Amino acid sequence: MHAELNEWSRRLAALAEFEAPAAGWQGVLDARRQRDLRVSRRLPLAAAAAVLAIAAGLGWWLQSAQRDLERGFADEAGPVALASDSVLAENERLERLLASLPERQTMRGSTAFTVAELEDRLAALDDRLSRVTQEPNAPERAERLWRQRVGLMHSLVQVRYADSAGTY
Amino acid sequence: MTRIADIPIPPETVAAAQAGDESAIEAVYRATAGPLYTLLRRLVRRPAIAEELLQETFVDVLQHIGAYEGRCPLPAWIRSLAVNRALMYLRSPWHRSLEWLDKDPGGADRLPARELPGGDESGLERALMTLPAISRAVVWLHDVEGFTHAEIGYALRRTPSFSKSQLARSHARLRDLLRGQAAIEEAAPCTPN
Repeated sequence: MHAELNEWSRRLAALAEFEAPAAGWQGVLDARRQRDLRVSRRLPLAAAAAVLAIAAGLGWWLQSAQRDLERGFADEAGPVALASDSVLAENERLERLLASLPERQTMRGSTAFTVAELEDRLAALDDRLSRVTQEPNAPERAERLWRQRVGLMHSLVQVRYADSAGTY
Repeated sequence: MTRIADIPIPPETVAAAQAGDESAIEAVYRATAGPLYTLLRRLVRRPAIAEELLQETFVDVLQHIGAYEGRCPLPAWIRSLAVNRALMYLRSPWHRSLEWLDKDPGGADRLPARELPGGDESGLERALMTLPAISRAVVWLHDVEGFTHAEIGYALRRTPSFSKSQLARSHARLRDLLRGQAAIEEAAPCTPN
């Protein structure tokens, strides 16, 4: 097994290198200028998109909290279990909704930026959720993380839906 | 091929780079650009994207060199920035929207010959390029750059087991592809012109 792995390593490492791009260091300096320009142009758009996404997430969270209050926490199943079920169910519903939205071949830069930002935050949350069972107060932490995940999913669905409908 | 982490950079150049000296960072670029570009080409395949990712990686270096604490060699730190950039690209909607092109039969071989490096292992080169992006990343990071399965799992936001199974499957796929190529080459002399 080890011999085989070493053989693959040897053969792959023996492949010839590609030549570095002709643009060289000047290309890096040009890319930095481009990034500075992009940031100065994109900041207001990104800020507006982030405010929209946060507002949407907050709206959903407030509605969810209100539903929880109306239902009452005195239920025999216990508040944590009930809330977790509802959060997990909502998460599943949003995942299905997201999967049903069409993948667009092209996307506005600001939209793609927001989507990438939300996807990265979701991935970071998933990473934390995969390790949360080893942390102290795991159930409370998991609950909080799942709620954050649902909030992000809600924002992502909103942005993707608005994009697919051409209104974003 | 030298592993990027093993590329020697003089300590005074590293110190000057850490202090934000752009000419020192340029010297680091000159020492590492070739191997880093090769790594990026193995991960993302498309020359223009790999070039852009290399440039963006060094823009990151210029902007965040202060975050480098010297716990690992500077080239290894820059490599981690490049790998993160490449994996972020592979997860992006742009890449997903281009995936259909990569699935096009023969698409992997459509790179002009001048865009593929020379060498005796061109069959392996082509076989490697037909693997899906994530499988190719696992193979290259493990076999050439010496990443552990835990490190690959972390970088891909998956488990170490995912990395292990991807590696085993990719090696099997490479073996099959190379066997297929060998069979075609053996048959070629019998083919009438």
